[in-house]
Amino acid sequence: MKLGLPTFLRTTTFKLALLYSAMFAAFSAALLIYLYYSTVYYIRTESDRRLDLEFEQLGNAYYTGGMERLSQSVLERMTRTGSTYFYYLEDSSGRKIAGHFQRMPVAPPEVDSKTVYFDFDQPEPDGTMIVRSAAGKFVRLRDNGGALLVAFDTAQQTAIVVRIQSAIFIAAPIGLILSLLGGVLISRGAASRADELARTAEAVMGGELGRRVPVRGSGDEFDRLGQRINAMLDQIEKLVDATRNTGNAIAHDLRSPLSRLRNKLEIALSKPLSQEAASATLSETVEEVDRVLATFNAILRLARLEAGAEGERVRMDVSELAEELAELFDPACEEAELSFKSQIARHLMVLGDRDLIGQALSNMLDNAVKYTPKGGAISFTVARGPDGTIDLTVVDSGPGVPPEARQLVVQRFQRLDSARTLPGSGLGLSLVDSVADMHGGELILLDAGGPARQPGLKAILRLPRA
Amino acid sequence: MMAETLAGDNMRVLVIEDDAEMASFIQKVLMEAGHSVDMAIDGERGLELARSTDFDALVVDRMLPAKDGLTLLKEYREAGGKTPALFLSALGDVQNRVQGLKAGADDYLSKPFAPSELAARVEALGRRQVGEPQVTSLKAGDLEMNLLTRKVTRGGKKIELQPREFRLLEYLMRHAGQVVTRTMLLEKVWDYNFDPQTNVIDVHISRLRAKIDKEFEEPLLHTVRGAGYRLQG
Repeated sequence: MKLGLPTFLRTTTFKLALLYSAMFAAFSAALLIYLYYSTVYYIRTESDRRLDLEFEQLGNAYYTGGMERLSQSVLERMTRTGSTYFYYLEDSSGRKIAGHFQRMPVAPPEVDSKTVYFDFDQPEPDGTMIVRSAAGKFVRLRDNGGALLVAFDTAQQTAIVVRIQSAIFIAAPIGLILSLLGGVLISRGAASRADELARTAEAVMGGELGRRVPVRGSGDEFDRLGQRINAMLDQIEKLVDATRNTGNAIAHDLRSPLSRLRNKLEIALSKPLSQEAASATLSETVEEVDRVLATFNAILRLARLEAGAEGERVRMDVSELAEELAELFDPACEEAELSFKSQIARHLMVLGDRDLIGQALSNMLDNAVKYTPKGGAISFTVARGPDGTIDLTVVDSGPGVPPEARQLVVQRFQRLDSARTLPGSGLGLSLVDSVADMHGGELILLDAGGPARQPGLKAILRLPRA
Repeated sequence: MMAETLAGDNMRVLVIEDDAEMASFIQKVLMEAGHSVDMAIDGERGLELARSTDFDALVVDRMLPAKDGLTLLKEYREAGGKTPALFLSALGDVQNRVQGLKAGADDYLSKPFAPSELAARVEALGRRQVGEPQVTSLKAGDLEMNLLTRKVTRGGKKIELQPREFRLLEYLMRHAGQVVTRTMLLEKVWDYNFDPQTNVIDVHISRLRAKIDKEFEEPLLHTVRGAGYRLQG
């Protein structure tokens, strides 16, 4: 992927990379300058020191043996192998006593300790003359007015300094170029990641709700950002689906009762009604409308539940809730000529929303009562489940749910054909599933183990313990 | 001290709702139930009226212009207002319910609601008076309930009730003469804010009815079709 140059120059990452490069360059420059000067300084002071040492030794010779001894020393040093110094000794009248040069090669400085620099010609073995540069120090001999010059060839020193300089001059621009290049590469990497995010967002906005940011698994900030964005997109998809489903649900499930209502009213209008009949019709109408409203509320609630917008979880005693519900449903079971048995382990705690769990259990019990024919049995148990969970189980002796239909039953508004005639909005198990989900648990549907044609349903709401 | 049972309290209700249609609907429902209704269409005006006039109950919508329902109620209570209030809201989730009750509402009803539900709850509010002297027994017709000894008699004859049945009857007696909806019973007697689809409540009621009405001539516990139940002598 190629980014247009102007775009990427404007990116924050490029500016940052540029900033880092500049800082790097500045610090490197400072370092190099420091190195340069300290090296050069060291070289100079070193040679100074050695020169002073030379003078000291020659000085000793002069003090112990006078001019004679000094000139002897000079001669010795001149002929010594490995000697790097040039000497020149003259008497008070300027006549050469000893030394490399014919005469004083340089004008004496005002002050003795000042270093003097001069050039001189040196004959080569093949007869040619080459110019050399030298630096040295001068000493005036107080007693007899003579002068001594000791100097050394600065060629070597100069060569070292030049070498350092050239190293710096090569290193600096290379370093600068490399840091700039690095900055560019880094920023391009970052810019392309940012661009990736932008393109995913655009695709999602364009309708591809399933699109996600590619995550490289490198664990860096962009990856983490990508993961967060993907999680957000998951949530958005969920919300959009919930909204869409709600729309469908409303259309689907409210159409029939509303149509029924309309028909009833039409019929009532079409013929003269006695006061009593009219009253009855209107009452029925009100009841039907109430049912519609209740369904409507249930749909909304389920949608909100699925979107994660509802419910507040606190640590609660689910056994207590179950006991109260058992008490609530017991008479209804008796009325429907069903036996009701409950076995509830005490003080089992979950992190949950009391109303939602209550609704879920109520739906399960409701289903059991609704679908179990007379003479059947319903049991309600609450006990510890596997792996730190709590199982809230409702078993009935009704027609049960065949394995292939178990997924369907949990979907909204699905009722098995056999149960089509029974009232209820069919949201029951759908809500139980959502509640299970929201609590980090699950809804398990199994056969209750009854006879083949009527195995019964065993519904387990499994929630993690708190 | 005994609480007299009254049939059809005529209440003076203030309805604070900005949606014109909803407002007139509520007004109609309440007037049909025999109450007189005053209206306000925004929070400021509503608060003003509530403070200046003595109402038996307030019906406050949550979303209001000028001052929202929650703030209105808080300010009203802080200023010492004692009239019981019913909160209406389009958002029925639990958090808002708790918020509303904390702000000083006495009951909470989410839209859409059945008119019978509204009427029943408003009337139930009418009974709730802050600072009412403690009642030790309830009476409806020849049915008597002693709240201290937990004994129930009708016509002098003792009636045995399970604890839950007792609570159910107590609630009905406290609201004698008024319509009590199934939802109200679920909320107040069973402390549930959800709806079982089967009318499980009905069975409890019929059991209670068997105990208090069967052996006696005059039925006290009536079913109000499309609404709920009413205890009336």
